[in-house]
Amino acid sequence: MMEESDAALVTRAREGDQDAFRLLVERHSVRLFQLAFRMTSNEQDAEDLVQETFLRAYKQLSRFQSRAGLGTWLYRIAANCSLDLLRRQKRRGDQERAVEFDSEEAFPAILSGAPAPDQQVYHGEVRQKVESAMRELTPMERTAFVLRHFEGQSIEEIGSALGVGPGATKQSIFRAVQKMRRALEPLVNAIP
Amino acid sequence: MNHPTEEQLILYHYGEVEGRDLIASHLQGCESCRTSYQALQRVLEAVNSMPVPQRSESYGAEVWRQVSGQIVKATAPRRLDFWQLFQWPRWSVAGALALLVLIAFLAGRFWPQRDSTTEPLIAKSTQPISRQARERVLLKEIGDHLERSQLALIELINSKTNGVVDISLEQSLARQLVDVNRLYRQSALRLGDAGMASVLEDLERTLIEISNSPSQLSSTEFAEIRRRIDTDDTLFKVKVVGSQVRAKERETARELAAKRS
Ligand SMILES: [Zn+2]
Repeated sequence: MMEESDAALVTRAREGDQDAFRLLVERHSVRLFQLAFRMTSNEQDAEDLVQETFLRAYKQLSRFQSRAGLGTWLYRIAANCSLDLLRRQKRRGDQERAVEFDSEEAFPAILSGAPAPDQQVYHGEVRQKVESAMRELTPMERTAFVLRHFEGQSIEEIGSALGVGPGATKQSIFRAVQKMRRALEPLVNAIP
Repeated sequence: MNHPTEEQLILYHYGEVEGRDLIASHLQGCESCRTSYQALQRVLEAVNSMPVPQRSESYGAEVWRQVSGQIVKATAPRRLDFWQLFQWPRWSVAGALALLVLIAFLAGRFWPQRDSTTEPLIAKSTQPISRQARERVLLKEIGDHLERSQLALIELINSKTNGVVDISLEQSLARQLVDVNRLYRQSALRLGDAGMASVLEDLERTLIEISNSPSQLSSTEFAEIRRRIDTDDTLFKVKVVGSQVRAKERETARELAAKRS
């Protein structure tokens, strides 16, 4: 049997068919988790965000317009949820939790072949720098940057998702890239 | 052309720059720009090395297990939808006033007793339903009010903007919520529930601000309102108190059911 399209499932879900919504949750959770993790660098926060995204999506289902594509629509909601979360955390000075995340231990290197040990060290160092540079971004910079860099969304889409103009969206992305450059350039340009 | 700026190079990298061909040919001819662009590319490639923990194929099913309880609750017996908020029959100042009679009556139980003359006075005029049953109605109504407010705020901060944001719909909702909210806040205050009163006060300030703002907002004005809602943590507090009220309501319902059986 052919897989039912997102649009068809949304139509059924709107009519109260929870099974249809379940299929949508099952279909989009993994991708949303990736986005949420890039926004937060924290597994628990990312999982909470995924849940919150689907709950919000369910409540707003009647406002979904199919031409946008459900994936895009869900990322918009997720992006706003993470923006809220990052702002709350920033205010509460809730950074100590994020620091316990240790990329080296949590994730074995996914490198092709068997890399030389010094190369592994180098990759580990880059990752840690990326991690800490991401944490230096403001909530808006981080959200806009993740959507542009990892999700490939256009500046216009990002602005409209986050409720800011294209000028402000660009500025957030520029500042994010500049901060990443400041943190990473000395390291990445040291390799031959 | 002049050397492209760093910002132009960033946009070029993401395929969003105007005059793409001009920049491409400049990069071919200008070594210093080329070096700087390559450095930028290396940095952005390095960003991709940020690891994301894997989730198994069953993760989606797990998420469903976590959210389905709340979704089922939202669907039956009453499904809360933004549009239905406008059609709520009991949702009015009159309805809230009637409830305040109940609040006063229940003061001794749900809130610490303040005014001992209130209770017997109103109790006489109330129908002989059990106190717990009335408490449950009250909790449900306050829970609904908080839920409606929460939803209205979420709708507002998620409004779509294309330069101008039209919040007239959210505004008319906010105006109705303000009146009801004021009554609940005043009585919470009178009854000595300072925590509830303070959350309702924050909520009221936000609702008034929304009601009084123009209905067509520039994206800057809109961002400001959003920022304020966020800074005050209104949404978060409403959510927390709302779920406390809901939990209490469920507990009362359980006690009632246990008594009946
Ligand atoms: Zn040049």
